[in-house]
Amino acid sequence: MEILKSIFYILVFPGALFTMVAGLWLAGVDRKVIAKMQKRIGPPILQPTYDFFKLMGKETIVPRVANRLVFLGAPVIGFISLAIIMLFIPIFGFTAFSGSADLIVILYLITISGVALIVGGSSSGSPYAGIGISREMVTMMSYELPFVIILLTVAKKVGGADLVFSMDAIGAWQRANGSLLFQWSMIPAALAMLLVIPAEVGVQPFDVAEAETEICEGPLIEYSGAALGVFKLNTAMKMIIMTGLFTSLFLGGFTTGIVALDVLIFVAICTVLTLLCMTTIHAVTARLKIEHLFRFYWTFVAGLAMASLILVWCGL
Amino acid sequence: MFKKLINNSAAKSPWIYHVNSGSCNGCDIELVACLTPRYDAERFGFKLAGTPRHADIVVVSGPITSQSKDRLIRTLAQVPEPKCVVSIGSCPQSGNVFKGSYSVEAPLEKFCHVDVAVAGCTPKPEAIMEGLYKAALLLKEKREAMSK
Amino acid sequence: MMQHFPVLAVMLLFLSAFIVEIFGAKSKAVAQGIAMIAATVSAGLIYALIKPVMIDGQIISYWMGNWAPVEEYAIGIGYEVDALSLFFALLVVTTFWLSGLYSIGYMNKDHHLGHYYTLYLMLSGSVLGLVMTGDIFNLFVMVEIMTFASVALTAFRNFSEGALEGAFKYLVIGSMGSSFTLTGIALLYAECHTLNMAQIASILAGGLSPTAIAAFGLIIAGFGVKSYMVPFHTPAADAYTVAPTSISMIFSGMVNKAGVYGMIRMIYIVFRAMDKGTVQQMLAIFGAVTMFLGVTMALAQHEFKRLLAFHSISQIGYVITAVSLGSALGLTGGLFHAMNHTLFKGLLFLTAGAVLKQVGTTNLDKLGGLSKRMPHTTICFLVGAGAISGLPPFNGFASKWIIYQAIYTKAVESGKFVYVLCTICALVVSVMTLASFIKVTQAVFFGQLRKEHENVTEAPFSMRLPMYIMALLCTASGVFYDFVNKYLLHPAANAALNISKYIDAMMGPGYAANARVSDMSVEPVAFSYWNPIIWLVLFGVLFIGAALVILGGRNERGQILSSSDPSQAKYDTFFSGEKEMYSQVGGSDLFWGFKSNWKGYYKFMEAIHSGIVNDYASMAVVGTAVICLCMFLFMR
Repeated sequence: MEILKSIFYILVFPGALFTMVAGLWLAGVDRKVIAKMQKRIGPPILQPTYDFFKLMGKETIVPRVANRLVFLGAPVIGFISLAIIMLFIPIFGFTAFSGSADLIVILYLITISGVALIVGGSSSGSPYAGIGISREMVTMMSYELPFVIILLTVAKKVGGADLVFSMDAIGAWQRANGSLLFQWSMIPAALAMLLVIPAEVGVQPFDVAEAETEICEGPLIEYSGAALGVFKLNTAMKMIIMTGLFTSLFLGGFTTGIVALDVLIFVAICTVLTLLCMTTIHAVTARLKIEHLFRFYWTFVAGLAMASLILVWCGL
Repeated sequence: MFKKLINNSAAKSPWIYHVNSGSCNGCDIELVACLTPRYDAERFGFKLAGTPRHADIVVVSGPITSQSKDRLIRTLAQVPEPKCVVSIGSCPQSGNVFKGSYSVEAPLEKFCHVDVAVAGCTPKPEAIMEGLYKAALLLKEKREAMSK
Repeated sequence: MMQHFPVLAVMLLFLSAFIVEIFGAKSKAVAQGIAMIAATVSAGLIYALIKPVMIDGQIISYWMGNWAPVEEYAIGIGYEVDALSLFFALLVVTTFWLSGLYSIGYMNKDHHLGHYYTLYLMLSGSVLGLVMTGDIFNLFVMVEIMTFASVALTAFRNFSEGALEGAFKYLVIGSMGSSFTLTGIALLYAECHTLNMAQIASILAGGLSPTAIAAFGLIIAGFGVKSYMVPFHTPAADAYTVAPTSISMIFSGMVNKAGVYGMIRMIYIVFRAMDKGTVQQMLAIFGAVTMFLGVTMALAQHEFKRLLAFHSISQIGYVITAVSLGSALGLTGGLFHAMNHTLFKGLLFLTAGAVLKQVGTTNLDKLGGLSKRMPHTTICFLVGAGAISGLPPFNGFASKWIIYQAIYTKAVESGKFVYVLCTICALVVSVMTLASFIKVTQAVFFGQLRKEHENVTEAPFSMRLPMYIMALLCTASGVFYDFVNKYLLHPAANAALNISKYIDAMMGPGYAANARVSDMSVEPVAFSYWNPIIWLVLFGVLFIGAALVILGGRNERGQILSSSDPSQAKYDTFFSGEKEMYSQVGGSDLFWGFKSNWKGYYKFMEAIHSGIVNDYASMAVVGTAVICLCMFLFMR
């Protein structure tokens, strides 16, 4: 029975299936709202789902110079690492596998999905992919610094004199003391996190790695069919994971007691966050250059996060 | 179990790759006009892809100059099945005013099967939209034929 | 019986060095045979000590020529193997055994193999002796043998470009390190009138006099040179690059571990200074600077082995920062990372050697697309790259995770902001490490294969076997880190923090109690959050799920097509319709987007790393001065 329950957790909720469905929902909302912002009718909400299934039905071509194993394995590794992360992000009161969630592990698993994209693109042997993976990696270095500082800030704020990296402890602290977002010293960190999310997911101003108009979608250039579909799915899943992580870190702390209702509220908050930090920014900005992106994250965003860390360190 | 869903999706998310084989840019501008708020091709799921590997529909404009012929053929070969080829404007159909030039290889039918041809110099965005939509429906048929 | 093993293992290596020189000069096979037999037997002798020392907690002491202490003064040379020594000894024997195995395939085109094996055995024996000796002057002698064997081996391929230059730099900076150590030891001898480390520790337990502090600073600087801590890192890059790869692996696996071992032995046992805030902060900052400088320099390299050399420096920074914290957690993390570094850096050097051997160059601008020609090497490289970048489930993740936790705990406990900066530095350096290995992956193994490398073949099995072993160990020690912790790390950390047993084993029972040596209690480090087994199970379940969906949908999804027929344009890479042959772009300077923001920094670094030995020597002197000054100004 325990095993069946675990398998249900892993494969259906809150693991693979839930992440896929919620991610595709967020991606659909994102596209629809952008269209509305630009006075278009826009695609149906289910458009990302159609895209995914269409790609499943197409041929997957492995280029001659590509290493077949790495080329086809990379998207699957990325998918699995993302599906695992969701198991360890608490949805308000509910966690599938409590006690084993750790911020650093989550940080590294998100990195793995990025590495999967990079290694997959790299193995395709295309020169455009070479430029793409370079940009992807620089983007990763850019947002990693503020992201790390944010995580340390949260750990210090919650832990006080002890060291706390566990998602459960963060949730428990928020249940006792109210959401972290309402601590004024945490507001800069929350803002920085809102700016980290779009770079992590790779939406418009920060999508230098996959700029389809200049470097033909970068690392994804040689991917087609099912493998491409899985990569597109990974991007959608990252949306729910990053917004979900924000929700758990900064907006946790209340629960209605009913898991289904909690999940609905969770997804609703994630949708709002998506609209706030991805859709709006996407609709009003043009793509950055890679040097600018790096400078932006290491000065402005990291500065915001650092301000929060210093405030928290001073005991505020 | 997902067969029907996959087949139906084939018509609902056609991604376009655009090849300019020596066009005067008129048709290209009209194609881009389809994506503007006024016509909004995205409501049918159309999206411009950056590489032929992602494409379902290859849109060819221009009279196929000798220089671009090899590149066009290579690019067309790199598109995964099921795919459609749509020609825009009169140039790929007949060579238009360039017909007979030593450097023009039109028509496009010599090199590949053209599924939908939109005539005009240049065709209106409405016409292009209709052509692309027909190609999207064709994609579904091809996918059904493939999955049998 | 057991107490003879350590000294036998060392003597065997030194003796066979002479035997190889006498009998192996003519025949390659004889030299190889003698060296391998000696290495195997010696490794076996050390492995036999695991049970008594690590599990039963014995400490093995041995007086050379039975010169036992007279009237409580140690007059002979003593060998003493506690868990800390054995931990490093295990790293050493594993490294040189695998290196010897690798040399069989790797060195077969070289001449004068007799000399090579002589030096190889001298180097192995000296490092093994260094980590097991209980006598501080014997330690210095071993350091000297190690330095000169290393210098000679660096210049072994003296026909190749830069070999003599690298050896010369190593010689100058290395001898400076040895002189610092010797001066420190002389001061210590003047102060304590004994050379036995256990006895010095009990004499110094009452408090450090100014002479002892000066000695401490000089010895730390000396071992800093041996472990290539910034600003003593300068000879490392050249030496690692030009030495034969089997020796580069020994350098990064044993020689700089010997430096780390020396530091731990001095800080934790001889001087008992690990709870002094000054020492902790100073070394933590040195470590953080080392890891940052190493990785940023690595990002700018165009040469495979030189890049790995800078990563060696960077990873040693992690180890130094972790062990400097003075906590059981930090020491465990540091030792674990030292061990992991031996494994994954050895593995990476071996893959670099395989590339050098099979292709003939390690210049990143001239390589590319080798994954189709050398698939096994590629997989091994990816394992090593994942491990060094700290990706789960490899061992680098487990040790880095402990190190982050240790530094941040220290920050929270002491309230010092500098440790927060060290934590951030450690986390960011990890991503940069990943970045520079992505660069190597793209430039060497993926990307376009060059025309002139069409006929490259996979490395021979004798070279691949050590790679497989190391890749396996990298994964195993990451997944079963609990086991590693219980049987290797915990005893070693315990031995470093509780020294009265160490002193008693050498000087007779009750000696430590008279000297009032304080012990620290060590609780086993609990790894509560990271449980790789759970993650692996999750991974497995999801993988099976994904595989079922993919296989079940075989009729519905599109086919997966691949072909190696060059006439089919369908399988070309897309380069705007151009032919594939026109689409070659090198991958060695991938990170211009990063580097263009760091122009000033790289200009400064270029000015510092001028390649002039005088500059490097003055940097080393300044570094030593800073260390000694910190000690004098703030320690009392």
